Amino acid sequence: MTWNLKIAVLAAACAALPAAFAALPAAFAALPAHAENKKSSKTAGAATTDKRKSILRHAKAQPAAKLASREDRDGQPEAQLIDIYKLIGQAKTRQALPLAERLVREHPNFQLAQLVYGDLLTAQLGPVLAMGNVPDTTAKAAAQQLAELRRESQLRLQALRERPAPGLLPSQLINLSAQNKHAIAIDTSRSRLYLFENSTTGLKLLADYYISVGKSGIEKTIEGDLRTPLGVYFVTSNLNPKSLKDFYGSGALPINYPNQLDIKRGKTGSGIWLHGTPPTQFSRAPLATDGCVVLANPDLERIIRAVRVRTTPVVIAQSLKWVAPQTIKADSKPFEDALKGWQNAKSSGDMTRLMSWYTPDFSSNGKTLLQWTPALQAEIKKLDGRNIELKDVSYMRWTDTHDTMVVTFGELAQGAKTGQTKRQYWMRQGSDWKIFFEGIIG
Amino acid sequence: MVTPTPVLNNMFALASHLTSTALRALCVAAVLATGAARADDYADVNILVRAGKLAEALTKADQYLAGKPRDPQMRFIKGVIQTEAGKPADAIATFTQITQEYPELPEPYNNLAVLYAGQSQFDKARAALEMAIRTNPSYATAHENLGDVYAKLASQAYSKALQLDGGNTGVQPKLALIRTLFAPDAKGQKPGTNSQSSAPVTAAPVAKAPVTPPAALPPIAATAAAVPVAGAEKEIESAVLNWAATWSAKDMTGYLASYGKDFDPPGSVGRKAWEDDRRSRIMGKSRISVKLSDLVVAINGSKAVVRFKQAYSADSLNVSSRKTLELVKAGERWVIVRESTG
Repeated sequence: MTWNLKIAVLAAACAALPAAFAALPAAFAALPAHAENKKSSKTAGAATTDKRKSILRHAKAQPAAKLASREDRDGQPEAQLIDIYKLIGQAKTRQALPLAERLVREHPNFQLAQLVYGDLLTAQLGPVLAMGNVPDTTAKAAAQQLAELRRESQLRLQALRERPAPGLLPSQLINLSAQNKHAIAIDTSRSRLYLFENSTTGLKLLADYYISVGKSGIEKTIEGDLRTPLGVYFVTSNLNPKSLKDFYGSGALPINYPNQLDIKRGKTGSGIWLHGTPPTQFSRAPLATDGCVVLANPDLERIIRAVRVRTTPVVIAQSLKWVAPQTIKADSKPFEDALKGWQNAKSSGDMTRLMSWYTPDFSSNGKTLLQWTPALQAEIKKLDGRNIELKDVSYMRWTDTHDTMVVTFGELAQGAKTGQTKRQYWMRQGSDWKIFFEGIIG
Repeated sequence: MVTPTPVLNNMFALASHLTSTALRALCVAAVLATGAARADDYADVNILVRAGKLAEALTKADQYLAGKPRDPQMRFIKGVIQTEAGKPADAIATFTQITQEYPELPEPYNNLAVLYAGQSQFDKARAALEMAIRTNPSYATAHENLGDVYAKLASQAYSKALQLDGGNTGVQPKLALIRTLFAPDAKGQKPGTNSQSSAPVTAAPVAKAPVTPPAALPPIAATAAAVPVAGAEKEIESAVLNWAATWSAKDMTGYLASYGKDFDPPGSVGRKAWEDDRRSRIMGKSRISVKLSDLVVAINGSKAVVRFKQAYSADSLNVSSRKTLELVKAGERWVIVRESTG
């Protein structure tokens, strides 16, 4: 009854496909190679990642089988997407189609997956000239959405292609203490969040996730500017998802924007959170939020399980600089000496000597240096000639127009069993490090 | 002339269309696998369906099935009637049952796909078509329908990707319904046919006929018609070649003029809808090439059946298939009244 053979015998159609998809961005073709890079770079952080991979393999072998546990699901839809991209890069669109079908079935709200699925279906019919090969009218009607999805795709691919070399760490994460079980570093230029685990052997990269930031980008300055702040922050609470609107997805982790450096610089605004996505969207466009950092819900859930309120640092940088831990240590030697100098000055009980470590514009929760000095004097008196000890010292370096350190430690009088947890913000002035904020953080 | 050869593949279609006694005889001969009496029953019901007398057709089909409840062909026709009568749930049940009992037949899967697509269940439609193709990889109708379903699924995926309210916008694909089981598309004898055949083979003299492989037949058919109508054969051949040429050239006027006013568009679409569909399909291609080979012409008075190999390529697609055109002489011209694959 057929009067027009619109579609070929599939074998014939397949033969035409490699050519069709070859027109897609070279990114796809480049994929197999960098996917291997990913593997090797992750061997450092083996345990969890490998576990996830084995689960993935398992899931592939038995498509119907439920995944072992929630814990393994973070990052998985992206891994599936990358598998699909890899097959497209190898011109294996027939093999890619069922994978895409499965991905959109499991995550119908994963828009980028839907786009790739649409392309793979289109590829069964004829040439696919561009990623998101939608009809012209659709491309016009939804130009922004299409551009955003293409950008998301590009960023996801780039973050996986350009992996940090094994063993390197973001330059900000100089010295974490045993209290910091995990650390988070965000590279906004890559729309990527890196989750680290801190153990006796040092920091290791556990996983990394696609994220979205402010509609207007980064460098938040004033309230309502729709920008995401840059700096060193800490998770300040873990909001119960039941108390949140659907919009925030599976949870929210507020951070301490504005921090003391931000306040010193007169920055305003509040309510910067790491949060999830609404039911309608698996992930959001790279620039989509009012300033928050947004992750896919499974990824956020993994982070929520890892973080500890008040102690987990969240570094948000325009571009993370990955350096060897030894280099970091060497670079921070002058600061370590300064911290030691301050500690000695405080132990000496010599107020003049101690005060020389603080900047004239020092501030502690609204108090000027002059207003705050009596409190420091009282502390010295209480020490009664004893030295002070610093426990669980962590410091992180933030360098933009200024070079700063965010320092956290427990301060104890020699021989005492308990003390206070303090945080200081230091700033380098020439070759000297000075304290511009000091406070107790519980 | 009684050689039962050229119509083996196309028996039911021809039975309902060509009334010449000679051809009818051929049909009967060819049909012996399922029994000569049945072929008439099928044809009678099909004629009623084509005439739009669905209630009558259904009654007749049910009467027949009362005696032979498992007969796949009549159940298939019943499914077609239910489809045309706007009872998709009944039709789905009918075709589903046939697929369960005869999983090797592609046609019921194809029609299930048509019904699912009609209910916007495109994933199900796709699965059914893939089953049809698995049972018969060269099943052209299923391939074409699958293409339409892919296009629809792609458009849905794009709408979801771009969060457009497009799930229900866009054109519903019009998939081609198969009207008879063991249609020309599906080549060769179906295992289901023989195993199900309960009618005794009464026509002893023609019992040998099916043994002849269909592929070997065309030359015989051609010579059978050759002597009296050599001139007509040339005319017909050139009409068919012209049809292919206008198609290749995307000359819609010339192409559509190749079809007679009695042309019966496939599916239950009207002539106008068919022409619109052809126009959009043909003009939508940037390049089309249709090459014909192995033409075999069988002439019977003012009617003719032409079989050939068609190499179709459009844009990046290349398909080779067998095709059958039925033509009639209208004035000085030979025009197409029926077109089918196989």
